[in-house]
Amino acid sequence: MKKALIIFIVAALVIATSILWFMSFSEKLRLTDLVTAGVLILVVGFALFIGFKKMSSAKRGEPVEDEMSKKVMRKTASYSYYISLYLWLAIMYFSDKMDFETHVFIGGGILGMALVFTVCWLIFNFRGVRNE
Amino acid sequence: MNNRIREYRARYRLTQEDLAKKVNVRRETIVFLEKNKYNPSLRLAYDIAKVFGSKIEEIFIFDQETD
Repeated sequence: MKKALIIFIVAALVIATSILWFMSFSEKLRLTDLVTAGVLILVVGFALFIGFKKMSSAKRGEPVEDEMSKKVMRKTASYSYYISLYLWLAIMYFSDKMDFETHVFIGGGILGMALVFTVCWLIFNFRGVRNE
Repeated sequence: MNNRIREYRARYRLTQEDLAKKVNVRRETIVFLEKNKYNPSLRLAYDIAKVFGSKIEEIFIFDQETD
């Protein structure tokens, strides 16, 4: 239950920060801003999904985490780490070619990492993790 | 690795939730085990076998070709 609560607090903080960020816009929204908002919604939605999943497990009297969920998380972490390395490499390559501000690239990279983690988790959680 | 958890569970009239509680895992883990999408640890395999009063090798069948 404690872990679910932490997830909800972090998600609430991200939502609050995003709202503040959107409120600070004085000009028209650009495509990159909309893409960023879309990825943020996806990542926060994923965090809330995990939080509700953990909470429902706790309510049923089941453990919030067990050996399979830990294994899924370990595999997700290792795969998303490797993919994120390539993501940063791509960002470094495109940073020379495109005319964006540094904070856009860094923000994009961080959001990209979160997205990669989400996708990896979804794949391993629904496909299962067999011994290799 | 294949297993006969579903068969044993039916024999002992246990739901997935009951078995999950007995071996202290989430119901989802039992679902994945029955679908052969997850290979359990030796500890979990032992606990499941203990619930059914059987030996591990009676429930879990090691198949060299698929593993």
